[in-house]
Amino acid sequence: MISRNPPIDTGMSVSFIASAVIHLAVFLLLVWWGQLFPPQMTIQETYYVDVVNLPTPNPQSGSSAQKPGKPGAEVSQPAPAPLMTAPPPSRTSLKTITKEVKQTPPPALAETEAGFNERMAKLERRAEARHEEAALEKMRKTVKNSGSPKIGVPGAGGAEAGSRYTDYIKSRLEDALKETISYSTKDPYVAVLLTIAADGTLSRIRIVQSSGDATFELAVRRAIDLAKEKFTAPPNRTAYENGFIFKPKGISKSSSR
Amino acid sequence: MGIITSAGIVVKLVLMLLLSFSVVSWGIILFKFFQVQRANGDSERFMDFFWKSKRFDAIASQVDRFANSPLTVLFNEGYKELKIVVETDSKSDGSALSTDLGGVENVSRALRRATNSEITRLEKYLTFLATTGSTSPFIGLFGTVWGIMTAFEGIGKTGSASLAVVAPGIAEALIATAIGLVAAIPAVMAYNHFQHKIRVLINEMDSFTTEFLNIVQRNIAGK
Repeated sequence: MISRNPPIDTGMSVSFIASAVIHLAVFLLLVWWGQLFPPQMTIQETYYVDVVNLPTPNPQSGSSAQKPGKPGAEVSQPAPAPLMTAPPPSRTSLKTITKEVKQTPPPALAETEAGFNERMAKLERRAEARHEEAALEKMRKTVKNSGSPKIGVPGAGGAEAGSRYTDYIKSRLEDALKETISYSTKDPYVAVLLTIAADGTLSRIRIVQSSGDATFELAVRRAIDLAKEKFTAPPNRTAYENGFIFKPKGISKSSSR
Repeated sequence: MGIITSAGIVVKLVLMLLLSFSVVSWGIILFKFFQVQRANGDSERFMDFFWKSKRFDAIASQVDRFANSPLTVLFNEGYKELKIVVETDSKSDGSALSTDLGGVENVSRALRRATNSEITRLEKYLTFLATTGSTSPFIGLFGTVWGIMTAFEGIGKTGSASLAVVAPGIAEALIATAIGLVAAIPAVMAYNHFQHKIRVLINEMDSFTTEFLNIVQRNIAGK
């Protein structure tokens, strides 16, 4: 008996289309907003402190706190640096440190203060020797590479304009990556094509290839953001483009234009 | 956007499901909004016209102007039934409804049936809004739980638990809950709003039914 046709239901499809358009618009707005204002993440530095390494005036006391009545010279001595052999605070180096620390035998319970001082002095001497050795090795390498034709872009002969600039950029990126490095897969890598404008500003970052480790990609992006502050203008005031492959061990140059 | 693209397949599926829920529920919200707006506007104008007119046949000829009002459906059904009753009584003994109140009962039944049909029409699709509002957060939560499980699995494999390793995985997982809430909150709000508006329309229909029956009964008693 009810003769009413539902003519309004035809508006349902229009509503769905409008809804889909609204969602698409919101999505595009978010993408545009994300590109306009990239998220600036502040990362809290995490320091790993191994209690075994802390100097104690008397190991028997079990505390690194200075005793109030004994302002001895041994307390103000620096931490035993020789154990910290690896320079960058990367994950692998931390593991090594922990292993080394665990392997050191625990101090004898009956050790005297004199014995402790002697041990500290020995450790200091060893640290100095290692530092000297490392510095010498570095100098030797510098001298060896100064005349090498392999510096710079492969095939560039080391004398062409841009090769030193590439090294400069690579060095800045390496320094920055040391600060931001973090990864969640075994052998992550990210190949990035960087374009630097004639005035030295980073004009484009393009990830060409990636192992798919989002954590490492983020670390690389942050490293580039950090390093770009130190970029200088390319030689001859021309735009510069080069590919860099980021790996946890460092950065290698992939291509040059 | 990288946070979505780098999420796992299950989290992506959950996000797609929630997105489709959101699209459909917003479609229903838009549709219901215009439907209720038109029904309210047309009902108001129809009631003005109804009280100004003195004859049912005059109203019946103009009723198409208020097609979106549920009250016009009630009027049409009541008037149609009234005409049938009058015609039947005229054919039977010619005394035309003088004492037979059974005809009023027929009209009342017709109006009740029309009211029910209009309530069903007005409440159509609202159940989807209720379903979206109640289930979307849970679907999102499922995506989050799954994402966090996967993130912890990855952390276990790499053996590192620094903030830089843990945070991206958890952020990817939490996006599912966020989208679930984005889909659910408007759906719940719209559901409550439309429930209120439809309740008002139902009250108007009840009042109109009473008024219509009063007029019919007064006329029958007057003859």
